[in-house]
Amino acid sequence: MKSRTFLPIGSFLAHAGQSVGNRVLLLALGILMSAPCLRAQGATSAAGADQQTIQMLLQRIERLEARVAQLEGTHTEAARSETVNPIAPATHPPTGPAAGPATAPQTTAQVPAPEQEMEHLEPERMDLSKTLLRMRGFGDITFHGTDQRGSTNSFSLGQLNLFVTSDISEKFKFLGEIVFESGPDNFYNVPGGRRNEFAVDVERYLLQYSYNDYFNLAAGRYHTAIGFYNTAYHHSTWFQTTTGRPLLFQFEDSGGILPIHNVGLSASGRIPSGPLGLHYVAEIGNGRASRNPLNEEPVQNEVDENNYKAFNLALFARPESIRGLQVGFSGYHDKLMPMGQPRVDESILAAHAVYMAPKFEWLNEVVLVRHSPEGTSAVFNTPAFYTQIAKRFGSYQPYFRYQYINGSDREPIFPDVGRIEGPSVGLRYDASESVALKLQYDYNLERHQPASNALSVQLGFTF
Amino acid sequence: MHRLLGMLTMVGAAVLLLEVSPGAARGGPPPASTTAAEQNLAIIVNQANAVDDISLKELRMVFLGERSHWPNGRRITLVMMDPGLAERKAVLRDICRMNENEFSRHFLQGLFTGEVFVSPKTLSSATGVRKFVFNVPGAIGYVRASDVDATVKVIRVNGHGVDDPDYPLRIEARASK
Repeated sequence: MKSRTFLPIGSFLAHAGQSVGNRVLLLALGILMSAPCLRAQGATSAAGADQQTIQMLLQRIERLEARVAQLEGTHTEAARSETVNPIAPATHPPTGPAAGPATAPQTTAQVPAPEQEMEHLEPERMDLSKTLLRMRGFGDITFHGTDQRGSTNSFSLGQLNLFVTSDISEKFKFLGEIVFESGPDNFYNVPGGRRNEFAVDVERYLLQYSYNDYFNLAAGRYHTAIGFYNTAYHHSTWFQTTTGRPLLFQFEDSGGILPIHNVGLSASGRIPSGPLGLHYVAEIGNGRASRNPLNEEPVQNEVDENNYKAFNLALFARPESIRGLQVGFSGYHDKLMPMGQPRVDESILAAHAVYMAPKFEWLNEVVLVRHSPEGTSAVFNTPAFYTQIAKRFGSYQPYFRYQYINGSDREPIFPDVGRIEGPSVGLRYDASESVALKLQYDYNLERHQPASNALSVQLGFTF
Repeated sequence: MHRLLGMLTMVGAAVLLLEVSPGAARGGPPPASTTAAEQNLAIIVNQANAVDDISLKELRMVFLGERSHWPNGRRITLVMMDPGLAERKAVLRDICRMNENEFSRHFLQGLFTGEVFVSPKTLSSATGVRKFVFNVPGAIGYVRASDVDATVKVIRVNGHGVDDPDYPLRIEARASK
């Protein structure tokens, strides 16, 4: 309560500078001198309003006089105790936490004027009663070319990602990722939408509840906790070392094989495990649509195609002894209902071992997607992995990635994927703390296709 | 392909070993001696906070947003001082073991992934930090030992009080005000 009354006075004192008491007196005199003028004006206009103004001014003068007296008292006291500078500014009144240290009063030399001014501005940034909406943006612009027949060298606008958070209360928080992206969607190798046209996707839409470190619950649309990459980088290319996600973790609307997004509930937290640093994630949601019909949105935002809910359980360890190391696995299960085909049982097993340090990263992930149409003995396994290594030298970060996916041509959900593998090598240069320039070369080997080379230059940024 | 991956694995393992070896650890333990207790950095919490002692490891988790709740369930609100101040430099060096850019990026990524529930508050002076910690029950911050007053509670680090000779958090003399 005391600090509340201190704040406006404090703000006033910030402008007063060093000779606080004198300035206050001058201001009081100014107000006194202006009072008769106001009274004269009031005689010609509204007498009632004048009376009110005069009363207000008189009250203010009284308050200021009391304040001046208080400051003079403090000033005299301070002048007695301080020998460093006889014209030291008055210290703050001893009101609660705003007061100087009880045991060590601050001298002029210890409290320079700029610091005092900054202190008085701080309450604006400390208002806890506001629900603060924060926004951060991510974007990228890429020039790319490949020797594949029919492709052209192009400049491409990447995803413009607006990341929004809001502290609703101590326990609740909102998190959203609104993405504007150009180009057609690509479901099951069939482009959808118009080329060169921008579209908006709400990629994440989460209400989070944090009970304690061991239990957090989120409801809405989230990135499925399959492996590491999917929940580490989301839709920001600037965070990623490379120009793009591994093929394994391509988004659904870019032809990816995994249910990257899910709509439902996600619980997560630490598991009491001492130095092992175990964590869990348990998710239940609509799962991915079976992409048949082909032009449908693969993420089931509003309606699930069946009553069966997809669930995912992930466990990972972050040992205290090796900071940056994360080792874990996850299991996902869903049932898909492709039109005109038997229901397909989908299981996805993933394991990862990654080491992420400020100057070195080494990511390794392996995934097995298993589809088994019900009523048949057929089982289609699609193994995939990638390994990525990067080392930072100042602003430069050379990197290497090798990736591999091997899907059957008779795969019931994504027969178009087939087998793809190949290395990528690149260099990331951080031009500033918010802008990164990346140069990447990719060599791709595909089943039934000639090998291809691709080169891309990307400018990734956050704002 | 297998040969290439094998080589990559060996290179990765070698670099990883170099990275995690004790000699390569950045921001090692602070110097054993200090000239005056005023150069120590006090970790302060709200008077109502029941925590009296915290290990440096736990403190690091708190300052990196990896712990978001106190044992009583109240959310931790971290208070940092403005970039460039000696107190903040000491925290980044001795607790977080990161530079300014790495720290900013760490928190941005933590917020982005949703693992960090709330970003730190940034204040520009010891008075501001004390006021904030006084007003917010779950707050934790830091000030010079000489800036501590009775409105906040100083917690021990690794069992050492802020005046102990073995207290692990110090502000570099040349960076002090």
